[in-house]
Amino acid sequence: MSQPSVIPRRVATTAAVILVLVAGLAGCAGPRSDDGGGSGGGSGASGKPRKGGTLTVLNSNPQEDFDPARLYTSGGGNVPSLVFRTLTTRNREDGAAGAQVVPDLATSLGTPSKNATVWTYTLKDGLKYEDGTAITSADIKYGIERSFAAELSGGAPYLRDWLIGGADYQGPYKDKKGLDSIEVPDDRTIVFHLNKPEGEFPFLATQTQTTPVPRAKDTGTTYEEHPVSSGPYKVVSNENDGERLVLERNPHWSAKTDEERKAYPDRIDVRSGLDSAVINQRLSASQGADAAAVTTDTNLGPAELAKVSSDKKLAARVGTGHFGYTNYIAFNPKVKPFDNPKVRQAISYAVDRSSVINAAGGSSLAEPATTYLPNQKSFGHTPYDHFPAGETGNAAKAKELLKEAGYAKGLTVTLTHSNDKDFETSPEIATALQAALKKAGITVELKGLEGNDYSDTIHSAAKEPGFFLAHWGADWPSGGPFLAPIFDGRQIVKDGANFNTGFLDDPSVNKEIDEINKLTDLEAAAQRWGALDKKIGEKALTVPLFHPVYKRLFGQDVKNVVISDWTGVLDISQVAVK
Amino acid sequence: MSEALLVQEAGAAPAAAPASGARQFWRRLRAQRAATVAAAVVLLLFLAALAAPLLAALAGQDPDTYHPGLVDSAAGGVPVGSFGGISADHWFGVEPQTGRDLFARVVYGARVSLGVAVVATVLQVTIGVTVGLAAALGSRLLDQVLSRITDINVALPLMVIALGLLAIVPSSFPRPVLIALVIGGINWAGTSKIVRAQALALKSLDFVSAARLSGRGRWSIARRELLPSLAAPVITYAALLFPVNITVEAALSFLGVGIKPPTPSWGQMLTEADTWYQSAPTYLLLPAGLLFVTVLALTVLGEGVRTALDPRAASRLRIGTGREERQERTKERAS
Repeated sequence: MSQPSVIPRRVATTAAVILVLVAGLAGCAGPRSDDGGGSGGGSGASGKPRKGGTLTVLNSNPQEDFDPARLYTSGGGNVPSLVFRTLTTRNREDGAAGAQVVPDLATSLGTPSKNATVWTYTLKDGLKYEDGTAITSADIKYGIERSFAAELSGGAPYLRDWLIGGADYQGPYKDKKGLDSIEVPDDRTIVFHLNKPEGEFPFLATQTQTTPVPRAKDTGTTYEEHPVSSGPYKVVSNENDGERLVLERNPHWSAKTDEERKAYPDRIDVRSGLDSAVINQRLSASQGADAAAVTTDTNLGPAELAKVSSDKKLAARVGTGHFGYTNYIAFNPKVKPFDNPKVRQAISYAVDRSSVINAAGGSSLAEPATTYLPNQKSFGHTPYDHFPAGETGNAAKAKELLKEAGYAKGLTVTLTHSNDKDFETSPEIATALQAALKKAGITVELKGLEGNDYSDTIHSAAKEPGFFLAHWGADWPSGGPFLAPIFDGRQIVKDGANFNTGFLDDPSVNKEIDEINKLTDLEAAAQRWGALDKKIGEKALTVPLFHPVYKRLFGQDVKNVVISDWTGVLDISQVAVK
Repeated sequence: MSEALLVQEAGAAPAAAPASGARQFWRRLRAQRAATVAAAVVLLLFLAALAAPLLAALAGQDPDTYHPGLVDSAAGGVPVGSFGGISADHWFGVEPQTGRDLFARVVYGARVSLGVAVVATVLQVTIGVTVGLAAALGSRLLDQVLSRITDINVALPLMVIALGLLAIVPSSFPRPVLIALVIGGINWAGTSKIVRAQALALKSLDFVSAARLSGRGRWSIARRELLPSLAAPVITYAALLFPVNITVEAALSFLGVGIKPPTPSWGQMLTEADTWYQSAPTYLLLPAGLLFVTVLALTVLGEGVRTALDPRAASRLRIGTGREERQERTKERAS
């Protein structure tokens, strides 16, 4: 028997992110953070950004399956968006402005008609692939059709759910005729026919599935090795399924047709598979090529933040971002005693958010949450606090409610959490809650499950525990993908991955979701999502705990740091290293 | 320390200790200064573990209360104040992010770390002695079977098996007991090999033959003739196994399959602390230092026990024989 060696425990963080990716492969709308997420301003090295140089990206997760059909992204992703242009894309600006959707290949966000069931897009003039050939609307149709092929699975399920005939379509390899619900009347026009009103279709059109793929160049499953670029960079080499990805300028890309991507560096070198501690160490040392390096998927952990905070030079090289994301306690009202709303409310009152936030890394890495929707305008965030616990919990009020519920002598419950060291659903958070609920006479027993087991258990209608830690992030910054999967009664899945963990099937909620989906005025929709969130909050099916804040280091030569509320992470398309 | 080395060292112990061994043993142990100090340290640690609630109460703390005010939330939750927030109230400082009292957590953690190691060692010795004796005294077939089982046990990678077992057992089973059972149940082969080899050697000696010829049964012989003679190598081996068991518990907790939070154990504290080595070094040094001191003390004590039980080693080192005192006196006189 030998002495234990010091094994980096950061492995778990990676595992958590991989877990998210696996959930996506399973074909469910799981919480997602493609290249990461978060928002808010970041400072950068001073001086005017100039063209040239090599930008190094140090990541833990590889750019796996680098095929626009297979990528599951929010807003087209960070690295993918350098190569793949889409019909629409995210606005590359700091903060809340960055949570807006803007045209990319298309001239507008799309023209809706017939209650938002038909969406028409016109392509810009002069769009070209990396080989100089013209991009046509038929290529976009083909790109979308490819994503229906079983061998190119991995993307979000929305196109399959929304397009007429999408549920049965097998992809262009098996069905040469294609999808009739996507029309291409001419080379520059594309029309989508949906089976129900979807006012947020412009958000969906940001995903890489709307990237044009020339049919003649399609090599099926090997297309990911050298996808044909429509963006400012083309793939030079792709090793070990995205572990090392080298991109160079695409000479046929023109800034005249692309208002969003700045494309300052000449070359992008993405190196993945690194341990998060290594990434943060290299970025803080900022030596050699690492001076022009960034990360798109690795946050500073609490201990690293403590070190960075004490060093002003280092602190100036931290980008802060907010990604629309909520960590919360979930209840299964089918399990006693959580069938009793008073018990759920008592727990809501007893929660000590300050100690939970400390466990999540402190006030710089987490903001208290009392609403289920993230605290951002684009989600329609409407502040409410139905069961005010204050900063440290209201044990007296909790005890009172427990007494009313018939648990005057206290109560013993089991809290299920994951064993991943992700500072989200991890033991630290569970232990902090355990200590807080003790003050209200609630004895909490902890049940930790390993990553995959945890994910399977909480998303199985049959096995779901009564009281567990959960989190949710949206596929785009809007209330729709945030609320519908969790609270729409028609999305309860009996066999398979179920995300409506509170088993809420309220006709009025379902109807309101349908009504909002008809709205094409995104701001009006956001307001209604906010109001709906406030209403659902009264049922105490969840206890919102905190919204994460992302702090990420970048090298000392990095300029023009732009961090939107859409992703919460610095946008590579804006970064300059000269 | 490697398994082979342990077996070798323990095997070097004599087959038989003199009947009046106990007194001589203490004298020889006391004569070794390092072993005496180590014994005192071990005793202190065990007392601290036993009196954990008392000590925590004395400090006015408990291991589970959060003190959010004692950590700097905006800086990731690093303890406020120097040396990890050491103060009159918090003798060893507080834990980053939670502000839990580290003194209380360390003494409570000692209970788990030492307790698990004690139970595991007792289990290893019990299984090892039983299997070893049965193999030595039983039929040829039984010997074959038991020896092969022992060989398989030796070949089992302890950590891998333990990781697997701990992952599948439901979390409702008390964790410290489970860990003790797993470590004890897996790592007993060394003891059994030594016991079998020694028992076979003893079996051919005259006093055992005499007992057998006088018509005594196998188990009577085992109990009355063999066990007393096996005490020395077994105790020696157990003393060397004990620190190994502590590190195994620490390693398992470090890998996240050991003790579950909020129960503190040194290994589990080490896990929590490993990212904090730059921003709150005291937090890491505390469990690491304690593990180091404990394992070192126990190893030195184990070595001392071995020496004290081995008359050849004792005489070679000239301890506890009174000879060195005589020699010194002679030298003094000569000078």
